[in-house]
This record gives sequence, structure tokens and C-alpha cells, in this order.
Amino acid sequence: MKRGLINLLGGIGMMAIAIVLFAFVAPQDQKLGAAWKIPAEYKTMKNPQKATPDLLNVGKMAYAKSCKSCHGGAGLGDGPKASSMKTKINSFKDAKFQAQTDGEIYFQSFIGRDDMPNFEKKIPELEDRWAIVNYIRTLK
Amino acid sequence: MKKNILFITLLLLISTFAFAQEDSTGVKVKDKPVRSPFESGYLIDAQTTVIPNAHTLEFVIQHKFGSVENGHSDLWGIYAAGSNIRLGLNYVPVKNFQIGLGMTKKNMAVDANAKWTIFQQTRKNTHPIAVALFGNVAFDGRNETAFESGMVRIASDKLPVHFRFNDRVSYFSELIIGRKFNDWLSLQAGLSFTHYNAIGVVYDHDKVGVHFNGRLKVSPQGSIIFNYDNPLKIKKISEQLEWTNHPKPNVSFGYEISTSTHAFQIYVSATNSILPQDNMMWNQNDFFAGKYAIGFNITRLWGF
Repeated sequence: MKRGLINLLGGIGMMAIAIVLFAFVAPQDQKLGAAWKIPAEYKTMKNPQKATPDLLNVGKMAYAKSCKSCHGGAGLGDGPKASSMKTKINSFKDAKFQAQTDGEIYFQSFIGRDDMPNFEKKIPELEDRWAIVNYIRTLK
Repeated sequence: MKKNILFITLLLLISTFAFAQEDSTGVKVKDKPVRSPFESGYLIDAQTTVIPNAHTLEFVIQHKFGSVENGHSDLWGIYAAGSNIRLGLNYVPVKNFQIGLGMTKKNMAVDANAKWTIFQQTRKNTHPIAVALFGNVAFDGRNETAFESGMVRIASDKLPVHFRFNDRVSYFSELIIGRKFNDWLSLQAGLSFTHYNAIGVVYDHDKVGVHFNGRLKVSPQGSIIFNYDNPLKIKKISEQLEWTNHPKPNVSFGYEISTSTHAFQIYVSATNSILPQDNMMWNQNDFFAGKYAIGFNITRLWGF
């Protein structure tokens, strides 16, 4: 009986220590990302793909596979992985985001930085990348 | 027969050079491959014509639980004995060619494999189908005494006098033809040849099989998937007078979820095997008699 009680208290004690230690590794408040430094060539880059229904469908499929888990289905920045990021993910519905050029969105989406990884190898085809940019435009 | 196979192979090779077509102005336009006919190189127990991009490393976990036939008593096979698992690594050194290694729990097997997508289906139908060749060699890693079970070697043989390393080796090769019909339907058919170097006297060394599988996309990330493998009864290559131990067809279906770097498939499947030659030679589970097991595949890609 006494041994059982000791084991129980020991177990509870270990859990308490784990909870205290875990507080140091659990995600803290997310920070807002600094302003993007986008090279001039991307700022003026022209989107060679028209947003045809077929290509928007390609963009939608590729967005679901590569972007949705962080950015969310509607682009609100509320995907299942969003809360584990150090940086807060902004909504694609934000007027400030949509006011950017296609080239700027391309740079942010595929060249990336920090929490936003580079997607050039995962999405090797330029046509598919621009299809995603076109699809993101529909999320406003 | 050999001449026909050689002719078809040559024809396929030659046609890979004809990858461009002319538009109405006579200018040659390169026809691009269709996007994602399948989400990964694996489709339940089968291979697809898909090979990841060049310089991609793929890690594969294939797992099958025990048979569901005991119901809730062993949680439909999840707690049952007889599970099987394979861990595999594949690498794509050059476009459309993949090499891989794997370890399987059943028979403690180690396998080396290669897949070559001879050509991909293209968007403008220059190539209306995709064609791939898959082959592997597997080594049965069990202790020599295990080979007296009769499945590979008859019990009257005296070990280790007659036992050689070659007796552990089996091969599987398959020609796969696939087509993505539209954004939601892709189908494949395959013809395979299985060979075991050493086998019990009541079995055949060789088996020819046909395969049929596909996916039905139901959402941007989700698909219903199915697979059917049928070892054929070909008297000409059989060493037996009667079909007493002929393997049963394998039926399986499931659901697949994919992201840009993962494919996750959960399914039910008749065969307990993961290696294709093991399935084509030994499966005695009849799906329609309730003999099937729950399983899953996970693939993870890293680009270099």
C-alpha cells in the first residue's frame, strides 16, 4: 500500500516536472514577419500564365497539396500546421497582400525565407507555380 | 515469344525519341507529361508508373496488420500475430529512373529494386499512355533451418549439404501501362513474371500474373484506390499436373491522402505479402471469404 502510494506520488511528481520543462519548449507567441526584401527583378516579373479555368484548377490542386496545411483551405493562415510556426501567417484576403504584384507573390511563395520554405524543387514546373499564384489571387 | 517481347521493347524505346509534335504552323512543340497521374510510386501492393523528380530520396513504410477474421477479439487484426512490415529507401539518380532497397519482416527479406518509366503520358496525347518497367531481386534472410518448412525446400533435403545462397533468391519483374483519363480517374494494367530459385516440389518456380489498379480522386488531396493481382494458371510453365496450390488473386482497396512530400494510404488487402513475388507465389487468402487485413503505406520525399 505504502509502496503503491510512493509510486503514485513519484508518477505525479515526474508529470509535474515534465509540464514545467515542457513550458520552455512549447511554442510561445508568434511574431509578425519582417517586411520582405524582394529583388527588383521579381517585383516587375510578369505572370506569363492566364487564369483560365483549367489552370486555376491546376493551381487549386497544387495549393491543396503544398500550401493548404499552413495557409488553410481559404488562405486565412489557419492551416493545421500554422500554430507551430514561429512567424504568424498572414491572410491572403488581406488587401495589402493582394495589392502586391504577381512577381512579389511568386518570390514569397517559391523562393521563400525562414518558416516559408523554398518550393522550387517541390514544384519544378514554372507553369504550375504561376497557376498557384493565379489561384491565390482568387482567395481575396 | 522472346522475339515478340524484344520487338515490343524496341518499339517502346524508339518511340521515346518521338516526344515532340508539330503544331498547325509546322513548329515543333514539346509535349509535357501529364501532372500527377498517381500521387506516389506505390499504390497499395502495386507499383505505379510514377517516379519522383530526379535527385529525390524517398522513404517508404509499408505495414500490414494480421487478418481481420477474428473480429473484435484482436481488434480486427491490429493486435493479431502475423503482421508484416517493409521499410524502404528509393533514390532517383536521373529523370525517370529509380533504384531502391528494402527490408521486409516476412522471411526477413532484403530486396533491391529498380524502376524505369520508359515514357510518361503527355498532355497533348503524343504519348497517350505511360509505360514503366519494374524489377526486383529479394533475398530470404531466414536461418537455413527455416527452409525445411517445405515452402522453399522439401523436408527430406539434408541441410546444409544442398543449401546454397542462390536458394534464397527470388525475382519479380513487371511491365506497367497506365493512363490518366482525366483529373479524377487514372488506371493501370500490368503483366508480371515471378521466379523463385528454390521451391518445394509441389510448387512452381515461375508465375506469370496480370495486374489492374487505379485511383478515383474525390478531392484535391483524397482518392479512392484499388488494386487487383491475378497469378495466371499457365500449364506450359507449370511443373505440376494439377493446380493444387495455385495462389489466390489479391484484391485490395483503400483511401489515399497526399501532400507535396507525403502519400498516406490506408487499405484492406487479401495478401499478407508486401514483396510482389511473395504475393504472386504464396497468397492463399481469399478476399471474398473474409480473409483480408488492414494495412497502410506512408511515403516521404526529400529533394536534393
